[in-house]
Amino acid sequence: MIKEYKTLYPYVKKYFISYLFGLFFLVITDGGQLVIPQMIRKAVDMIASGVFDLNRVGTLMLAMIGVAAAIAFGRFGWRFFIQGSSRRIENELRENLFQHLLKLSSTYFNNMKTGDIMSRFTNDMHNIRMATGMALVAFVDGVFMTLVILIILFKQYPSLAGFTIMPLPVVFLIVLGAGRLMGPRFQKVQDSYGHISDEAQETLSGIRVIKTFVREKHFLTRFASANEEYLKSNLALVKIWGFLFPVITFLSGLTTLLLLWFGGSQVMGGTLSPGDFVAVLSYLGMLIWPMIGAGFTINLLNRGAASLNRINQVLNEVPDITSLPGADGLIHPGELEVKNLTYSFPDGGGPALADISFKVLQGQTLGILGETGSGKSTLLRLLPRLLDVPEGTVFYGGRDIREYTLPALRGMMASVPQNTFLFSDTVKANIAFGTGETHAPHDPHFKQNEQDALGTSDVLLKEMAHLSTIDRDLSSFPEGWNTTVGEKGVTLSGGQKQRISISRALASAPEVLIFDDALSAVDTETEEKILNNLIALRSGKTNIIVSHRVSTLMKADLVLVLKKGRIAQKGSPEELLKEDGIFRRVYNLQQICRHGDCPEDNDG
Amino acid sequence: MDDEKIIRGLDGKITKRLFRYVKPYRGWFILAVAGLILATVGELITPVLLQRSIDRHILVSWSAFRENLLSETEPKIKQILEKSDSPPVNIGERIFVPSDALGIITGREKEELIDKGLLEETSWYVFSLGNSGIDFLSLSESYPGSFIGNKDYAALELGSLKNLSPEDLRQVRKGDFNGLMRYSIFYLLLLLEILIFSFLQVYIMAYISQGVMRDMRHELLEHTFSQSLSFLNSRPVGSLVTRVTSDVETVNELFTSVATSLLRDIFVMTGVIFVLFTLNVRLATITVITLPPVFILTWFFRSRAREAYRQVRLWVSKVNGFLSEHISGMEIIQMFSREKKISDDFYDKNKKLLKAELGEMYVFAAFRPLIDFFTSVSTGAIIYFGAQYFTNSTLSLGVLIAFVNLVGQFYRPVMDISEKFNIMQSAMAGSERVFDLLDSNSSIPDNGKINADNFRGEIEFRNVNFSYNPGEPVLKNLSFKLNPGETVAVVGYTGAGKTTIASLAARFWDTGSGNILIDGRDIREYSLDSLRKCIQTVQQEVFLFSGTLEENITLGKKLSREELEKAAEAVQADRFISTLPDGFSSVVKEGGANFSAGQRQLISFARIIAHDPKVVILDEATASVDTETEKLIQLALSQILKERTSLVIAHRLSTIRHADRILVLNDGNLVEEGSHDKLMDLKGAYFNLYQLQYEKNGAN
Repeated sequence: MIKEYKTLYPYVKKYFISYLFGLFFLVITDGGQLVIPQMIRKAVDMIASGVFDLNRVGTLMLAMIGVAAAIAFGRFGWRFFIQGSSRRIENELRENLFQHLLKLSSTYFNNMKTGDIMSRFTNDMHNIRMATGMALVAFVDGVFMTLVILIILFKQYPSLAGFTIMPLPVVFLIVLGAGRLMGPRFQKVQDSYGHISDEAQETLSGIRVIKTFVREKHFLTRFASANEEYLKSNLALVKIWGFLFPVITFLSGLTTLLLLWFGGSQVMGGTLSPGDFVAVLSYLGMLIWPMIGAGFTINLLNRGAASLNRINQVLNEVPDITSLPGADGLIHPGELEVKNLTYSFPDGGGPALADISFKVLQGQTLGILGETGSGKSTLLRLLPRLLDVPEGTVFYGGRDIREYTLPALRGMMASVPQNTFLFSDTVKANIAFGTGETHAPHDPHFKQNEQDALGTSDVLLKEMAHLSTIDRDLSSFPEGWNTTVGEKGVTLSGGQKQRISISRALASAPEVLIFDDALSAVDTETEEKILNNLIALRSGKTNIIVSHRVSTLMKADLVLVLKKGRIAQKGSPEELLKEDGIFRRVYNLQQICRHGDCPEDNDG
Repeated sequence: MDDEKIIRGLDGKITKRLFRYVKPYRGWFILAVAGLILATVGELITPVLLQRSIDRHILVSWSAFRENLLSETEPKIKQILEKSDSPPVNIGERIFVPSDALGIITGREKEELIDKGLLEETSWYVFSLGNSGIDFLSLSESYPGSFIGNKDYAALELGSLKNLSPEDLRQVRKGDFNGLMRYSIFYLLLLLEILIFSFLQVYIMAYISQGVMRDMRHELLEHTFSQSLSFLNSRPVGSLVTRVTSDVETVNELFTSVATSLLRDIFVMTGVIFVLFTLNVRLATITVITLPPVFILTWFFRSRAREAYRQVRLWVSKVNGFLSEHISGMEIIQMFSREKKISDDFYDKNKKLLKAELGEMYVFAAFRPLIDFFTSVSTGAIIYFGAQYFTNSTLSLGVLIAFVNLVGQFYRPVMDISEKFNIMQSAMAGSERVFDLLDSNSSIPDNGKINADNFRGEIEFRNVNFSYNPGEPVLKNLSFKLNPGETVAVVGYTGAGKTTIASLAARFWDTGSGNILIDGRDIREYSLDSLRKCIQTVQQEVFLFSGTLEENITLGKKLSREELEKAAEAVQADRFISTLPDGFSSVVKEGGANFSAGQRQLISFARIIAHDPKVVILDEATASVDTETEKLIQLALSQILKERTSLVIAHRLSTIRHADRILVLNDGNLVEEGSHDKLMDLKGAYFNLYQLQYEKNGAN
């Protein structure tokens, strides 16, 4: 358990002084709390004696209120220093975790669900905060208070202490045990909550299908079972949780009972003063919390360790794709060459790509055709090193792309991925994303600077919006250019998203533009328009286009046909048409109807 | 995430509505409240019990009235003698009453009584001889002059008790020891009672609140299902899911944390005040006087805490939203080398979250210690004034101790209530959002009585006008007719209103004006369920549910294995299904991610065969698929269209060429209609469309 906490060492070191102050205030608080019963005891004994000076009682009570003020101050102090530090540590840890994620490669994110990473930012961070704040306080508080109270009890009332504190260790054990028992049940509750959420998400996303086939009842039943399961797992948790505090109350009541019996007898026998009786009553009340606290502390520390472990897993993940030492930050545009590229994913399986070689001159367009799973997307992600290429296989401008820094390499490329991803920001900010001038227009922080840059960039961005033809849709958005997209704003169609994604790639004016089946959701007419715009704009620059449509590929200078990770055909579209192969078969299939001969009649 | 409405405290309307959900659990609810009351009463009795055992047995003190001087004109004494919990004891010329019975008179009155010689200043200890089995004579001999007594009782001055030997003391106080034993046993029983009823209350309340949540979720989803597509499409799925999940979850908080503890807290607080006043009116009054600063503080804290809490929630949701979005889009960030900017953005947001969290921490860090401080102030005041009352014997030590104890019990709920306030607010806001959704009513009216089972398959659009947004007509005065068994293709540019036709025919929307006739009768005369069972649509984008492949085809309809296989076979889906290790039981991942676009289409076709509608309206997918699959899809299509009235929104040439008729739509109008050859000869809109969209692809 200690091992995991090593991660926190630098943070704790940074806030060491704060923690020290916090502990100081904690000791003041605890000390004060211990004095108060003594003062009450004194007062009660004075009163019980029957002969006393009322002013002395008054002075004593004023002193007690003074101590109470010191306690209040001490309490504020330790919260200020210790909770403040634990919040700051959590905050910095979150910052560092995200910084680290920014460096990790696609290989990592492909194997991790977003939800899984997110739970580290939410649940685990919370557990760590509890471990660095509450647990520490409860621990110090618990140990200090328990020891001092026990010393006082055994020293002043040796005959009484042994009997009355008997139930207290049980409190500790029960809290500890309940924590262990609740852990898995709590997990179950969370899992079934996730299940409900998934079911609702699914059925509501697929509502049209459900309505089409009139299957509302079936899906309601499906939901009902998830719903029922959640109820059951919650009740299973409550069985433990609901018992915990009543049992603690019972056991603390038991200490009072023991005091009543043994202490009461002693008072009657004259060996214990009434004031002592009251003081012991207060002390026993004060022992309950440290016992609960000690049980919780151990649970909190355990949970914190488990959470730290999960965070360490991320932090210990070494970024596998980085700029190599001595990498060049300057790239001269040139030809793109791939030599004998073979690539396998690190998690095993056969090679995703094998023996890929081709050369694209500067200003040429490369077309790629291939079935699902033929390795197209893998190839496209290797070029900007989103997946890492083996040494000596991919060259740009005559040099291995591994010799360039990552920002330089990626800066001269831009891609339109197959699955469009837009940020929930304005249309404009999304298009400007890659240009280095992006900022949320609604962010007041940037207002000032924006005014200067706006003149030039706005014209450019609008131009890019025009090229992808998204500009004609802008008028139908509530705030046009500044409409927020995604869940918080308008819901875009697949085609609209793709076209914004195209504008985004074009806006960064890349030397190499990568189109991964990026026109699949737009109709033929629009596709044609976009491609024409594109070719006019990008003269002298390199394009790589993956498409299923032969008509698109016909615009390429060189076409690769991939099959199961290998190049099946390579050549200009005209050459490939002459060959008997996949390219011509697809071409025929897509064209044949013109001659009245349709695919199902054709043996292809 | 959602704008948080500020709801101040308990909203009567919402609360009332929430309680309607409790109705089915009425019996349980009464039981839970009973448990709550019993447990709380138990908790309130324990300090009283402690007080009683101290005053009656541990620290007993009796006051003595001089009987010979007692005059009828002293109603105060009469009152004391009558009100005393244990009966007055007569020994010689003295009448003894427990000293706490004097609590009902003021110190001055007491002094007056002493001055008049009616009341003795010394305190006494009185014990029953019968109970302790003591030989009074031998005691009197051992401690001459200490004891007075009659045949049943004996008494000695309190101060003389310490002169007795331990054995004698034990003897003398035997009754007290027995009494203490009885109280202890009673105390134990009370603790057990509290234990059992607290647990029952917590468990039953959890059962009720979980049940209420389950019912609400079910109703919510059922209600949402019944809403029209226009309503559902206007809302992000995420926000609907939030209603069903986290918003309903806040209702749970309302029941378990707020309702229960609020009820309990209020109960405890009033209970404590009540007990204080029964114990001693004057000390209780003084205690109550110390309370206003606490209420002012709480009131002040409440508004501060609300704002601080709102800020924290706001920034937590911003930071988490930012994180989850940018983790999903990490590849885009890296592709465009935007790590630096994103990291700066995050830094800003994260720091603002810290600021909000620290702000909240300060508020709470100040509040709790202050409440504790006020507890001590109250305690100090109680002891000081208690001491005053004790000196003139109007207060017993036990009562004083009980006061100190009870004040602690009073302050705990104060702290609770103010902290629960935030929870209550977000619960109210959550419930309000839930009820808003439940109040939305945009379902398609289902008043039709006719069952469409015997439907022949004739559909006619007659002068149909339709718009999604007012002023933007999508269909303009559209009329056409589909004869039973006919296959008709609809072609046109994007935005011509093709997809809308499919939605109208299955009555996902109602027409603006004009009619849709099914076998010559208005579509609204048919019951919605039977209509949709007859007219089914296939969408461009196939939606797969996570579950098994089989479930995705049957969608829960009971089909035999044979029928299922047949459906798959008919649309050529059997080929790829048979290559899967688990066949029809293969698991479909979220969004159908483990199936290719082509396979997904085949699955959606199998759905149609499995549900066997009379009319199928098919929106052909534009997404291109690989060649092999394309061939399969075309074969499957011909199976689906066979022997069914079908309307195809066509993107494939083959589909158009095989149609019996082609409708050409432009800008919401039907501009041309006829066979391919006839339309080509017209050299009109169809000809142009064909040239642009299909033919030129072949031109080298």
